Amino acid sequence: MSALDWAVLTGALLFIIGYGTWRTRRAGHSLDGYLLGGRQTRWWGVGLSIIATQASAVTFLSTPGQAYADGMRFIQFYFGLPLAMVLIAVVAVPIYHRLRVYTAYEYLQSRFDRRTRTLAASLFLVQRGFSNGLSLYAPALVLSAILGWNTTVTVLLLGTVMIAYTVSGGTRAVTVTQQGQVAVIFAGMATAGYLLVHYLPAEVGFSDALHVAGRLGKLNLVDFHFSWTDRYNFWTGMTGGLFLALSYFGTDQSQVQRYLSGQSVTQSRLGLLMNGLVKVPMQLGILLIGVLLFVFYLFQPAPLSFNRPVYERVMHGPRAADARRLETEHQAIQQAQQEAAAAFVQARHAHDAPAQAAAQQRLQLTQASAAGLRTDWQQLVQQAAPAADVKDTDYVFISFVLRYLPRGLVGLLVAVVLSAALGSAAGGLNSLGSTTLIDLYRPFTRRQDQTEAELVRVSRWATVGWGVLGIGFALFAARMENLIQAVNILGSLFYGTILGIFAVAFFQKHVHGRAVFWAAAATQLATVLCFWLTDIAYLWFNLLGCAAVMLLAELLQRFWPEPAKRVLAPA
Amino acid sequence: MPQPAPAPADAHDDAQPPLLPSWRAWYALVLAALAAEIALMVAFTRYFAA
Repeated sequence: MSALDWAVLTGALLFIIGYGTWRTRRAGHSLDGYLLGGRQTRWWGVGLSIIATQASAVTFLSTPGQAYADGMRFIQFYFGLPLAMVLIAVVAVPIYHRLRVYTAYEYLQSRFDRRTRTLAASLFLVQRGFSNGLSLYAPALVLSAILGWNTTVTVLLLGTVMIAYTVSGGTRAVTVTQQGQVAVIFAGMATAGYLLVHYLPAEVGFSDALHVAGRLGKLNLVDFHFSWTDRYNFWTGMTGGLFLALSYFGTDQSQVQRYLSGQSVTQSRLGLLMNGLVKVPMQLGILLIGVLLFVFYLFQPAPLSFNRPVYERVMHGPRAADARRLETEHQAIQQAQQEAAAAFVQARHAHDAPAQAAAQQRLQLTQASAAGLRTDWQQLVQQAAPAADVKDTDYVFISFVLRYLPRGLVGLLVAVVLSAALGSAAGGLNSLGSTTLIDLYRPFTRRQDQTEAELVRVSRWATVGWGVLGIGFALFAARMENLIQAVNILGSLFYGTILGIFAVAFFQKHVHGRAVFWAAAATQLATVLCFWLTDIAYLWFNLLGCAAVMLLAELLQRFWPEPAKRVLAPA
Repeated sequence: MPQPAPAPADAHDDAQPPLLPSWRAWYALVLAALAAEIALMVAFTRYFAA
């Protein structure tokens, strides 16, 4: 990166964090002030905070790469989200606001009992505690590979900055910094998209690019074919995606805390609905950048692997001769691909249908050859460097940024990645500190006379603790690639159960604590067993887990009713 | 552990959203936007694949 890039990067990050910390320097010693920003956030602040908490660095590193390799079908994953926003706005928001809770799990005690609340809070803390560490590690890994930054230093630096401003200003600091972070993210991605179209050859317009991508199956936005094992189609999006969004936005404290900080029911609802309106177009834009990258590299030479360090390692390793042979084949395919793509656009402009069909066929053949070559390369990487990551799609977008974007904009785009990492991880960290205080410390401590200032201090220390744990996990994860995947899936396996508990609380008013607690425990065990023993795509576990808790709780309530003295009045 | 005291219900909140006449209208707007986006995406998929 040039000096100008460094100036833009550090300037943007320091300004956002400095301004956020300065604006919230008097976070207050009250629980309301520290944990929920005094419940003063307006709808747009709530909405931006929700967007920033969900959009991690992975969103901007991996999603364009995913579209580059697999087309735009990932968009279907978000189809259930707007519906989930409406359902949460109707059902959950008024209840949370009426009870003036600090965490979603607090509601479970008034509705059921303390152990159900503790179970849900613990499941949340385990999965969020680990995944928060990963949201620091993922960008550090990619930036270290591309820019040569040291992973440990990047993680430590990001983690320390995040802990500092989250601890100092609490939820208000997180919300204010997230607003600046979202502004940088939107500005950076819009600029990258515009320049991508601008860098296409002069004779290739935006419409031509879409036609080329469409003919090669990259604009596969909606697929109505049903399959239990296919992760992204209309049905998984509208069911699995809906239940995942209900779990994440309705019961995950990292999101619930965003809209609990809203000034009123109206402000919280509008913030959620804003997310429902913005999310699908936003993801569409990010995926479109990936598809445009795909078209860009039909006309420009693409590297054999976007992961440069792995490429260099294989090229200079014991299988260098095989690697060079693949490189030669790759260049020949690239040449054929460029000629076929140019011929396709030319035929399109001339309205010559037979020539267009012939060029399309040539393009499809070169794509098939490129796919075969990619498989050979991945096998070679596995043999030559067994510890290396064979997948290079996470590096597609950032490689383009570094190679083709002008000075200054590279710094802006790296700031996008780091802003996303900080915004998302800070939202998670803030919720971990709050849940630890409200759901684990306060109900179990013997010191019932603590002032709010003392409780805020406990929350600050809990936030520091989770932050340090997250950094430690991120550094540990660097040595265990499989662990990352395991943690990502672990979160999804918990969500169905947690959502089931809340669904029973909201909709099955006659079911009491004992029934829902054992239903949740049994469902969690069954979910883990099903994951190990079957091929069901993990997105489905959100729906199946929720349904199982509701059904089991209903049966237990009927056939194993709770003794009258234990039953609490429903909220 | 005593539970937090419930806040008084804010009737104005539920009844009067800004800009649109009711919350139902807001929910319908969000769902209609989703339906329109999906319809547009189906049309795009078919148009550009042909």
